[in-house]
Amino acid sequence: MQPNDAQVVNVYSARHYDADRRLYAAFEDATGVAVRVLPANAEQLLERLRVEGDATEADLIVAADAGNLWRMKEAGLLRNTTTPALEQGVPARLRDPNGAYWGFSKRARVIIYRKDAVQPEEVASFDDLARPRFRSQIVARSSTNVYQLSMLAARIERLGPDNARAWASGVRANFARDPRGNDTDQIKAVAAGEAQATLCNHYYFFRLMRSEDGADREAVSKVGLILPDQAGAGTHVNISGAGVATHAKRPERAVQLLEYLVSDAAQALLAPLNDEFPIRPGVPAAPELAALGAFKEEEVALDALGRRQAEAARIYEEAGWR
Amino acid sequence: MTALDPTTASLESATPQSVARARRLKLRLDGVTAGAAIAAIICAAPAFAVLVLALWPSDNAAAFGGALLRDGAVGTLLLVVFGGGGAIALGAIAAWLVAACAFPGRRLLAWLLVLPLAAPSYVLAYAYAGMTWAGGASPVALTGIPGAAFVYAVGLYPYVYLAASAAFARRSSSAIEAARTLGAKPLDVFWRAALPLARPAIAAGGALALMEIAADYGAAHHFGLTTLSTAVFRAWYAHGEPQAALQIASALLAAALVLLWIERSARGRASYAGGLTRAHDTGRYALSPVAGIAAASFCTGLVVFGAALPLAWLARLALLHGQVEDILEPLGNSILLAMGGAAVTLVFATIIAVVARRAGAIGRIGAYAAGLGYAAPGAVIALGALALFGLARDAGWISGLSAALALTALVWAYAARFAAAGVQPIDAGLTRLSKGIDAAARTLGANAWRRLARIDAPIAAPSLAAAGLILFVEILKELPATLILRPFDFDTLAVRAYAYASDERLLEAAAPALLIFVAGLLPMLLLTRGVLKSAR
Repeated sequence: MQPNDAQVVNVYSARHYDADRRLYAAFEDATGVAVRVLPANAEQLLERLRVEGDATEADLIVAADAGNLWRMKEAGLLRNTTTPALEQGVPARLRDPNGAYWGFSKRARVIIYRKDAVQPEEVASFDDLARPRFRSQIVARSSTNVYQLSMLAARIERLGPDNARAWASGVRANFARDPRGNDTDQIKAVAAGEAQATLCNHYYFFRLMRSEDGADREAVSKVGLILPDQAGAGTHVNISGAGVATHAKRPERAVQLLEYLVSDAAQALLAPLNDEFPIRPGVPAAPELAALGAFKEEEVALDALGRRQAEAARIYEEAGWR
Repeated sequence: MTALDPTTASLESATPQSVARARRLKLRLDGVTAGAAIAAIICAAPAFAVLVLALWPSDNAAAFGGALLRDGAVGTLLLVVFGGGGAIALGAIAAWLVAACAFPGRRLLAWLLVLPLAAPSYVLAYAYAGMTWAGGASPVALTGIPGAAFVYAVGLYPYVYLAASAAFARRSSSAIEAARTLGAKPLDVFWRAALPLARPAIAAGGALALMEIAADYGAAHHFGLTTLSTAVFRAWYAHGEPQAALQIASALLAAALVLLWIERSARGRASYAGGLTRAHDTGRYALSPVAGIAAASFCTGLVVFGAALPLAWLARLALLHGQVEDILEPLGNSILLAMGGAAVTLVFATIIAVVARRAGAIGRIGAYAAGLGYAAPGAVIALGALALFGLARDAGWISGLSAALALTALVWAYAARFAAAGVQPIDAGLTRLSKGIDAAARTLGANAWRRLARIDAPIAAPSLAAAGLILFVEILKELPATLILRPFDFDTLAVRAYAYASDERLLEAAAPALLIFVAGLLPMLLLTRGVLKSAR
């Protein structure tokens, strides 16, 4: 049965989590508006949207990582939208100043270390990963990865390109092997003794703790998680967010879904499903995240993550971190 | 690969006059040739769009493109040489053993050897990473260029195995018979008679394997390698420079041209149409027990490393996870898209292949052009197809890419990407069509379409079926173009597996990945049946 056209909202999403599907289902239940989704990767969605022009069916665009959202905005694919509910729901630092995109969940970039080889205070800061102490003891994934890029982009914004270059070169000099695999592979490599520390998004660690594979649970028992730079600038944090498509045919439906994503109901639903941090302090996080306690977040303008992304990619390449 | 009427062979001895007349006729543009030209243009357009866009001036592209291009070229070259060389050697040896020797388990292995083709390279890469990297059971980690080359070799050898099996099946050709009659050892016959005779087939299968390696992004990226393909995506995703990505991609298209040219040269000028008359089967070499076990172990090893082991690993993960969420719909979508895409591509490929054989220069240029896309990553071809719709929009022909047009673009991207995988087997099948037949039919007044229907199609029928099945499996495995051009709420198995794998949920990704393989199994078995039947 084809739902009435006005009762539909079309979403282009660069997030393909089961959690999101459940969120959309809950939205449908609450509002009677059907959510149709096209999940694909952000860079390719951008090219498709460009060519679609005003023929697009996309109403809301969802992406993980502020860098991707910034690119969508730069390409003129997002329209500025502001409502009281959105302004109330999303802290100013976690949204575009003009309302082109709004964060709805947070992820932290953390340090994973092997408990039998490293004292937690030795990896209190991302700077530590570049110290000679960890010569041949660091593993990392490819720098093409957007989380890795955004993290360095934030550092460039805060401390300048020279500092960022020195850090990337220092970490690169400490590699135990060339970058390969994804975040989870890095955690497993540290657990297996291939290296002493790595960096990854926080939720991969918690996911491994609950894995149905006993080998994963055993691996994660050997490593610890640090929210770095608590004594300094704070831990690097990125968002998943969404914005209304410039050529949306049903902008009011898109806004409705966007408001739902930052509502208490959706935030409470999302927290335990995906191990991400809720977008604002008031909403309780999943128990294992809550156990980390409140922490200091790196304060960098979100758009810097996108603006400085290409520069970050160049710096990684110059440092030989591919 | 049906036995030909002996009268066909006699047409080989066409008179010089009739050959000369055939040459003159070649230049005439008939309906089929025009159709082939259109098909080739359609298949080549996205790749050419990439080339043209790459020439567009851009500020930042040159700044970092150089080093990436160089390192990527080195990486791709190494993988093509070692991975592709491995696939060719493994495939050719396996085909010879199965076709010419008797050893325990031969009949079963002849079927099983084709299985790895149903598993996408990126799935094999994830499986080997999971099995051999940190946390895996293996003491040796498969990493870097050697690791990826291994994955490609065991995953792609069936291209060569299939093509070479068909060629060895016709091993009753007089040269081999003569060699055997003269008492040559199996190895000698292989090197000095069978291999040279099967060269065109091995070259055709090998070219597919090599281009597949050049185009592969998923496996190379997971292994952390810098290749032309991964460089394309580094430029596009990390630097946000689709322009530079296109420039690097055009290097891949150039590589495709080189590979296609090498393949044509490896075929040589001989038409190999002779010796088609089927002599009585003189039986297989009986191997000594030790040699027999070695042969059986070799073939078993290929099946184990190319399919059984990675699949068992996936099956274990799928079982650990225990639940399968709404997998039937993606399965249905996959099959639907693969059938539709394969049908369209097959029509284009057939007409291109027939004319390439028949109409001299025009046809050959068409076949080259249409083959380009096979060496480019699917995402780049999709980008090319998108760019063409962008041009149409700028010209005011369409208001923008609607959902229906996106689906058209998707099928177009399939045709552009996989035409070569269809053209190659059909072309190989047509090597058995002597040019004399076509000339004779012309002389008798048959027009181009009639000759296509009454001569080319029946002769190529078995290879048409083979091409259709290969295309079906290719599109079943295809990810990037499907990912970006599919409609709303339309997941395929590959898309589902990707969604989970990109979120690093390998346990959840295992079931859809496994199903891609299962869905490809039936066509693979049909394909093998066709090849083996011709071998009997």
